[in-house]
Amino acid sequence: MKPLLKVRWATVCVVLAMASSWVGCTRKSNDPPGTLHLALIEKIKGMDPAQADDLYAGNMVHLVYESLYQYHYLKRPYQIVPNLAAALPEISADGKTYTIKIKQGVLFQDDASFKASSCKGRELVADDIVYSLKRLADPKTVSSGWWVLEGKIVGLDDWRAASTKAGTTDYSAPVAGLKAVDRYTVQIQLVQRNYQFIYGLAMPFTGIVPREAVEAYGKEFLNHAVGTGPFKLTEYNPAAKLVFAKNPTYRDETYPSEGEAGDQEKGLLADAGKKLPFADKLVYTIYVESQPQWLTFMKGGLDATSIPKDNYAQAVTPTQGLTDEMKKLGVELHRSPSLDVTHETFNMADPVIGKNKLLRQALSTAYDPVPLLELFYNNRAIAAQGPIPPGLAGYDPAFKSPYRQFSVEKAKELLAKAGYPGGKGLAPIDYATVSSSTSRQMNEYFQKQMAAIGVQVKFNTYSWPEFQAAIKNRKGQMWGFAWGADYPDAENFLQLFYSKNTSPGPNDSNYSNPEFDRLYEKSLTLADSPERTALYVKMAQMVVEDCPWIMGVHRLNYGLTQKWLKNYKYHDIQHGIAKYLRVDPALKK
Amino acid sequence: MTSGEAGGGMAVLATSPVESGVAKNEPKGRSLWADAVRRFRKDRMAVACLAVIAFYAVIAILARFELIASPWDTVIGGAYDPPSLQSLAHSFGTDIFGRSVFYKVIHGTRIAMSVGLVASLIAIPIGVTLGALAGYFGGWIDEAIVWFYTTLSSIPNIMLLIAITFVMGKGMGAIYVALGVTSWIGLCRVIRGEFIKHKSRDYVVAASSLGASHGSRIFKHILPNVSHFVIINLSMQFMGAIKAEVILSFLGLGVQGQPSWGVMIDDAKLELARGVWWQLAGATVAMFFVVLAFNIVGDALRDALDPKIK
Repeated sequence: MKPLLKVRWATVCVVLAMASSWVGCTRKSNDPPGTLHLALIEKIKGMDPAQADDLYAGNMVHLVYESLYQYHYLKRPYQIVPNLAAALPEISADGKTYTIKIKQGVLFQDDASFKASSCKGRELVADDIVYSLKRLADPKTVSSGWWVLEGKIVGLDDWRAASTKAGTTDYSAPVAGLKAVDRYTVQIQLVQRNYQFIYGLAMPFTGIVPREAVEAYGKEFLNHAVGTGPFKLTEYNPAAKLVFAKNPTYRDETYPSEGEAGDQEKGLLADAGKKLPFADKLVYTIYVESQPQWLTFMKGGLDATSIPKDNYAQAVTPTQGLTDEMKKLGVELHRSPSLDVTHETFNMADPVIGKNKLLRQALSTAYDPVPLLELFYNNRAIAAQGPIPPGLAGYDPAFKSPYRQFSVEKAKELLAKAGYPGGKGLAPIDYATVSSSTSRQMNEYFQKQMAAIGVQVKFNTYSWPEFQAAIKNRKGQMWGFAWGADYPDAENFLQLFYSKNTSPGPNDSNYSNPEFDRLYEKSLTLADSPERTALYVKMAQMVVEDCPWIMGVHRLNYGLTQKWLKNYKYHDIQHGIAKYLRVDPALKK
Repeated sequence: MTSGEAGGGMAVLATSPVESGVAKNEPKGRSLWADAVRRFRKDRMAVACLAVIAFYAVIAILARFELIASPWDTVIGGAYDPPSLQSLAHSFGTDIFGRSVFYKVIHGTRIAMSVGLVASLIAIPIGVTLGALAGYFGGWIDEAIVWFYTTLSSIPNIMLLIAITFVMGKGMGAIYVALGVTSWIGLCRVIRGEFIKHKSRDYVVAASSLGASHGSRIFKHILPNVSHFVIINLSMQFMGAIKAEVILSFLGLGVQGQPSWGVMIDDAKLELARGVWWQLAGATVAMFFVVLAFNIVGDALRDALDPKIK
């Protein structure tokens, strides 16, 4: 699950960077040459893979922990490649049995919890995979990532239920569909064919953890990191700064030697075949406000940054090139579409707004996307017509939602049909929001648009965790939200409308439509095919007609990197790409 | 902040307590109030500042009844038009939605003044009543009240404000109450101290021997003699509330959907990066003059009214 603040996401993405002085004006640094200096925009909730349910924690977790699979760094469309696994799984003819061989000789990082081997990290074996997946299912772990496995593996749901009932978890109790066949082989039995299952095995939630460390640290495991990954956590201050060092026992993993067309020319293959990671040290600083982050980048203290909306004109010209100021610095602009969608959610569980489709359609029609794009995204986004972003099968570029073509007259007409002519009789809409300056400006804009058809809006402001809690408890009639893809399949967006995923699950609008559910369940059993794409298109249109969301925008990601940062390529899905990045100290002088 | 903290060692000074009857019998003497007015008027700066406050008040009232700068939320230009002389509305430029910053400053004045007034009207009765009860009765009542306000004041003010706005939800009502119920402590201390001092004075003893009830002694006899502290406190209270409203709104806890100086400064936090300085300038200049004026008037009032400083 990857819910994001719509505003923050723009600033988000992976943000990379490097420090020390570039014209001798900044602070002195003791960091070795080639240290990466990167930025994060939210506090980190912890280093436990089972809790890594937002982008920021996910990024940190995947530096230290690894999952069985990962995405190819350079190839597009996104492609699953082995990580801890030795190869892609062997899947039986009925699509239900996955046999996964894991790499041999992979070591956990040295840690005090490995008492048997006097603090030396031991080898990763198939039992660790079984343990880590069971741990995600363990009710005591209280993982927000259980949905990744829920209902999918034979016997795992029963094992979870038995643990809940017994009050203690017995990891030695067998799960029929999840077992280690030998030291390096895991076999997973699925309840039914599922084409999205493998994506779950690439998410931070399924990062492989050693049982010794989990048991030794107990609750404190959240603040420790003992994985097999390329970096070791050396300094942990989740509200301000995280420092990582190269993991000396990291296995031989090399930079990809193939990419998509054009990567060669961009120099993205210059390091092909070289051992990862490149950086000896990695410093992540947390910038909650965008201005300090921007200024640090401008002084050369960060290797990469996103562009805050208010600095956009300083960096990018109207013709989408870099400004002279930026060219002089030698920075590089990276532009790529994000697999995401922002939306204003209607709470379908609300008796007023949830029961009145015409009312929702009226509000949707009254919300003009054009100024929204200009004022808040510097036109770095396109108006969304449906829930599926461009770049995924199921997105139809020709489709125009009838309720996203701004028209005050039509909105008033719909509002009158809904039973509230001129907004009369409608109580002010209870809108939940987070407290940030940009959110407030967006809310003012929404309020203004609704006032034009006579609808009043009342705001309830929360902090980010409170806001999430309010939504999970179905409080409020509307709120703004965004969803970024967990994996490159439109199913990840359509599951947001599946009735079994309603709050506290990811279906925050609490939309429920038996016909939609039927199509959704059918689509799960289909491989990527025109038939499945047609189903996706149909489901998306059902959602548009029922209007549980006012579709917002699909964003374009704009990032800047310093001239000395090599191998940067925007990746929508893969977390923890820092292992591929390299700083050229010669260019920093 | 508060002037003349209670319990100062200066016992009884020459000024006699004001009793309306007494004043009548001495045609040549001036009452404390008349004397204060005379002294206040000699302070030209203070008079000028009082005029500034009056000006703000008039602006606020006119804006309240939508006689000027109305409506504030009409779009008069593009986003972030710089200040220009083409009309009064454009004189401070426009904001992100193309609305007049000048109008927002005017309506921000309305919000600020109303917050100052209402918060003071809530705080003063609480402070005076509790202070009077504690000072007059002493004993366990005093201890309870002192314990209560000491505890309350040990909580950092901003925390308390945030907590109250979270409980009450957002909006003007919450701000009024939050500021009102957190800002009476200073006044309460002063009034308590004065009551302790006054309750054993001759005129109170005399009143009591004539059979005046507690209520009559508190409200009819002592209170008029300490009421100048309320006036002095009012000006400080007012200014404190204006500042607090700006801070709360800046933090996103204040006024929703209405122009406020704090919200404008919060906007400016983002906009300064793109060179938009006029919202910050408009809000801070407006705030600067009214806060300064209240400060100077507050000082002058203390000089004029406090018999200890003559």
